[in-house]
Amino acid sequence: MAEPEAILERGRAPLGGPTAVGDTREQRVFVASQWQLMWWRFRKHKMAVASALIVMGFYLIVLAADFLAYADPNASEAQRSLMPPQRVYWFDGGRFSPHVYGLKGARDPQTFKRVYQADPERKIPIRFFAEGFEYRLLGLIPTTRHLIGVEGGSDAAHAVFLLGTDVQGRDLWSRLMYGTRISLTIGLFGVTVSLVLGVVLGGFSGFYGGMADTIIQRTIEIFRSIPTIPLWMGLAAALPRDWSVLQVYFAITIIISLLGWTELARVVRGRFLAMREEDFVVSARLVGCSQMRTIFVHMVPSFMSHIIAATTLALPAMIISETALSFLGLGLRPPAISWGVLLQQAQNVQTVAISPWLMLPAVPVIIAVMAFNFLGDGLRDAADPYGR
Amino acid sequence: MTDLGRTPRTRQRRSRFVIALVVGLLTAAVAAGALAQAGKSGLIGKLEGPEVVTDPAKFPKTLNEAPQLAAQVKAGKLPPVAERVGQDPLVIKPLREIGKYGGTWRAGFTGPADFWNGFRCCSGPDHLMFWDYTGDKVMPNLARGLEMQDGGRAWLLHLRRGMRWSDGKPFTADDFVFWFEDIYRNKDLIPTPSAAMAINGKQGTIEKVDTHTVRFKFPEPYFMLPDVLAGSTDLAGQMFGYRGMGGFAPAHYLKQFHPKYVGAAELDRKVKDAKFDSWVRMFLAKNDWALNPDLPVLSAWKTVTPINTPTWTLERNPYSVFVDTAGNQLPYIDRVVLTLAENLEVLNLRAIAGEYDYASRHVDLGKLPVFIENQQKGGYKVYLDPGDYGGDMIIKFNLNYDADPEIAKWFNTADFRRALALGIDRDQINETFWLGTGTPSSVVPADSNKYNPGPQYRKMWATLDVKKANEMLDKVGLAKKDGEGYRLRSDGKGRLRIEIMTLGGQFVQYTQISEMIREQWKKIGIDLTVQEVERSLALKRTAANEQQLGAWNNDGSEHLFTFPLHVFPFELAAVASSGPLYVKWFHSAGTQGKEPEPRMRELMEKWKKAFGVPEKERIQLGKEIWKIAAEEVYIIGVIGMGPASMGVRVVKNNMGNIPSRQYNSPDGKTPGISRPATFFYKK
Amino acid sequence: MLAYIGRRAILGIFTVWAISVLAFAIIQLPPGDYVTSYIAQMASMGSVVSDEEAQNLRIQYGLGQPIYVQYFKWMGLIVQGNFGMSMEWRRPVTEVIGERLWLTVVVSVAALILTWVLALPIGIYSAVRQYSVGDYVATFIGFIGLAVPNFLLALVLLYLGFVLFNAHIGGLFSPEFQDAPWDGARVWDLVKHLPIPAVILGLAGTAQQIRIMRANLLDELRKPYVVTARSKGLSEARVILRYPVRVALNPFASTIGYTLPYIVSGSIIVSLVLGLPTVGPLLLKALIAQDMFLAGTIVLLLGVMTVIGTLISDIVLVLIDPRIRLEET
Repeated sequence: MAEPEAILERGRAPLGGPTAVGDTREQRVFVASQWQLMWWRFRKHKMAVASALIVMGFYLIVLAADFLAYADPNASEAQRSLMPPQRVYWFDGGRFSPHVYGLKGARDPQTFKRVYQADPERKIPIRFFAEGFEYRLLGLIPTTRHLIGVEGGSDAAHAVFLLGTDVQGRDLWSRLMYGTRISLTIGLFGVTVSLVLGVVLGGFSGFYGGMADTIIQRTIEIFRSIPTIPLWMGLAAALPRDWSVLQVYFAITIIISLLGWTELARVVRGRFLAMREEDFVVSARLVGCSQMRTIFVHMVPSFMSHIIAATTLALPAMIISETALSFLGLGLRPPAISWGVLLQQAQNVQTVAISPWLMLPAVPVIIAVMAFNFLGDGLRDAADPYGR
Repeated sequence: MTDLGRTPRTRQRRSRFVIALVVGLLTAAVAAGALAQAGKSGLIGKLEGPEVVTDPAKFPKTLNEAPQLAAQVKAGKLPPVAERVGQDPLVIKPLREIGKYGGTWRAGFTGPADFWNGFRCCSGPDHLMFWDYTGDKVMPNLARGLEMQDGGRAWLLHLRRGMRWSDGKPFTADDFVFWFEDIYRNKDLIPTPSAAMAINGKQGTIEKVDTHTVRFKFPEPYFMLPDVLAGSTDLAGQMFGYRGMGGFAPAHYLKQFHPKYVGAAELDRKVKDAKFDSWVRMFLAKNDWALNPDLPVLSAWKTVTPINTPTWTLERNPYSVFVDTAGNQLPYIDRVVLTLAENLEVLNLRAIAGEYDYASRHVDLGKLPVFIENQQKGGYKVYLDPGDYGGDMIIKFNLNYDADPEIAKWFNTADFRRALALGIDRDQINETFWLGTGTPSSVVPADSNKYNPGPQYRKMWATLDVKKANEMLDKVGLAKKDGEGYRLRSDGKGRLRIEIMTLGGQFVQYTQISEMIREQWKKIGIDLTVQEVERSLALKRTAANEQQLGAWNNDGSEHLFTFPLHVFPFELAAVASSGPLYVKWFHSAGTQGKEPEPRMRELMEKWKKAFGVPEKERIQLGKEIWKIAAEEVYIIGVIGMGPASMGVRVVKNNMGNIPSRQYNSPDGKTPGISRPATFFYKK
Repeated sequence: MLAYIGRRAILGIFTVWAISVLAFAIIQLPPGDYVTSYIAQMASMGSVVSDEEAQNLRIQYGLGQPIYVQYFKWMGLIVQGNFGMSMEWRRPVTEVIGERLWLTVVVSVAALILTWVLALPIGIYSAVRQYSVGDYVATFIGFIGLAVPNFLLALVLLYLGFVLFNAHIGGLFSPEFQDAPWDGARVWDLVKHLPIPAVILGLAGTAQQIRIMRANLLDELRKPYVVTARSKGLSEARVILRYPVRVALNPFASTIGYTLPYIVSGSIIVSLVLGLPTVGPLLLKALIAQDMFLAGTIVLLLGVMTVIGTLISDIVLVLIDPRIRLEET
């Protein structure tokens, strides 16, 4: 049974070779569109498929961050400082009734640690689609409904802490939701800038060749030779002081992407160089297509898949760069919330030793980076349906 | 989507009140017991320390020395100890017992800029006069005595007979004259004269009376001179030698680098050989206690491998003038080895692991529980030394801010400042960032400080009173609010927004605390933006009058007259300022800058006056100064008397003569004030 | 051939010059200069520096002059072999860097070795058993290093090292060996400190190498000669290891050239967290303090290393792969 993928796997089917099997499936391969071929190839890479699902899940969180959070991410309260993640009890006397125990906390005068006692008498039931703080769903619809919350709505709104609290008593789960939104959207903007720069400059370089090529190549080499951190520091320190957090955020993404475009440019250039001499391009020119048409209608689609793959692989680099910048104090800073900010606030001995749950934001970072990498690898493998 | 940082008023109203009530009660109960608990836990002890013995009857009759030095004497490499120490040793009664010689003190430092580290631990200290362990009284130190003459216009400094530099050459009045004539008065070395050598802006002089007597002469009575000599000022020994200051310098050594004593050609050659750009750079580098191992010193230990290497090593000074009451020449400990830790987490983790014998300088209060947890494993004990100053964290209003006249108007309205001060929930901040060990306070220093104006000033404008704050802001003209509850500007240009500038990476987490204050000020309708900047940027903006609010601490202000920097606008080069234009006015005797408002002027005048009046009057003036500061709230006090700034001390169990609590102050060069020369290893 | 090398060399020199200009510009970007940074440091410690003193310092350090003058002064010094004085350390730049340079190389090499030890087998396995469970597991392990925030991991390992093994915290030497003479004990001390940095830095690079290895090998495996070898009866292992792997290693080997500077600059953060006495933290502090000559020299050094590395890589590639040679002519 020859599945289309298997045929693709074996490389080009021999032209005019023995068709003893007389397979319609084989013929399907020959008439399938480029995207279908890609999809079949992609499906083989199970990890990539799983990763795609994970990535979609992440972007759902981006859209629904407010809904998934249940506490104001900036609401601090010293008496709730450094609460460990609360244990959720799913059943109450046989009935399905998720709840947590109320906590009483104080600072131990001997150890100076914040110590919390659970009070089994005080059961705080968790409600789904409960009322909480007000926000605008998708930026449009004002509502107060959240995925979970506690009975009593916003009055007792701070009584459940799924992932514990930080030094200022702020709920980690809610902060993580908002952090996910910012970290993943930074990546998108940065990658878009890299994409545009990479395609344009790489295209120029590859298509026209000659002087333009040499200059751009040298520029790429110079950019790659400079250590990134001094560049970041210099640029970040030069940002005007009165910019809002949002403006700084955009500036940071542009700074990061200024270094990311080189990889894409190289790929694009290589593709252009290779394709310049291809028959279909030559024929397009001979037929009379303008240069623009040749490029955009004929050439670009044929390496679109490579671009998609390269772009997907650039995203995890963005995420990691953002965390690194926050560590250095150059990236997003409080009161903004991102994975980098959360990790930077966890980057100290007392967290590792006493309140390790504050390191949990590292988990989505790891998952996201791995997922994007596998996805990108899968896309790149699939981008060349006939094998290399 | 909810906008990060903008809280709808509805949510506030509904949820906040109930929570606040319950939590407030809880907090009050906890906070009330916090300090008591800290004391109960044994971390804050009783103030104690070694004493300088001045009664000649109690002086030791014979002297002893460290075995390694005795061996050198025997080999003929060193003169005997009596000759090295001289006839008038500085006798110190150790805190608990006579110690034993030997051992290496392991500590950490963060790089070539960390020279205060070595001076605090290992300089002796080498001030001419110095504080007793309470930080209150001035005692003789390197000088045997200080005598006032001519109604305060002259001071006779008596040196110790037979006292020598670390290379054996005598320490005499010539070293003072050399410093004054050839260094202090040399415009290339010191372009601006120091305020420490002046009274009411008029410079004084130093002259030799005889080999062991020096006279400081001033055109007007300078009653403050003993405090100035005792404090960490420009006349405080070799610490500021790298800037050419100090009051004295080893003439016999430094003359070879000075153009007055060396021909121009030869000096040029020396400069080139040593790879410097100019003789000034070379001279100052040679006079650097932490950098030049060849520099003769008077401190207890001297630098052997300099601060710009991975290991800063200091060894005992064989000519040290410090001795204990049994006649043992101090220090007891042979060597001090500071290893480089460029990252504060690494340094703290090493202290936690017990790799340092005594550490307080870069220890982070936030890690207190981890330190306590590892006491047994690391073989050390944790102590807390709260400072005596009123502001471990303060917020300064820049009264001269002029880029926005609306904001300028409000900053100069006293009730506006007071209302903002009332809007801060200090208990929350204390619990979160000081772990409950600080004291919510206005800017006034500790009750035990002699300039403290009275216990009622502790809480003046320094409590949480949201209702009153709102009333006051309504009354001054900011009653109109926008849809989200923030007050609108009186000039109609929208919401009133103010900005606070903070520094990251300090002992106190100014940025995070300011974030908390931002949330708290929402309740009084004030929109605060927090801007964290790099140190040098902070400086630049402050000097250029671009800062609105600045977060900092006022450590040193417990010694109001030697450290006025954070009490009123005194220096341009500050990371937070109350008014750069006022600074110019103050230092130019009114010809430049801007004249301050009446009460600020009154404060400044009192401060100037205090230098020229006897102690009793000075104390009274000091109290009045603090009264004005507390009433006018030019600077908001947040948390005071906390141990956040070098107040968390980790000491190995095998070290002896360690005080259970010491006076924590820059003037006291803590731990210098506990005389580390008397620390020893009990094993 | 020689013409090719010659051309690349000249272009390389031009690139290095461009880097020097850029390096200098970047360091000057933040407002202020070393003196402002110095004054700020003094101010935060309670020492005050007057305006005149600041002016004096500026003149003495040559900071008062316009930037291009400072740049040419620096270039002039470099040509003489003098890289200037570090204002922060008050020692010649060459001394400050020299002390740390070889330690940086040691750490980088250790990381590199670890990278290859992990990446090669995983890459080969991944190509040969594409889409199998083993492939996924192996690549997962390889990619973990890329995904985990390495500064956090460094701190965690540091703490665990202390809690579990009572290990000395960070750095590359225990205090007693810091200034000791070089003997077996000191070498062993160094080796004992290497695992944590090598693991963290090495893991970060494995992902990329796995990808390259796998891609190259996949390319080779499709080629006719592999089919031929198989059909001739060679065992699977021999088929793979003997020929395709060797060929796949070629472009791989050419990446050695610029991997070293890549690791050096990529390790700045981890070195800082671990307190390693390497060039990375030095650069960071120099940038913050705006210690012009020190920062500029290090950036220049890294840039030069990259350029030389790329040059070597390209030359090696040309030597090994005749196709490229033909393309260029």
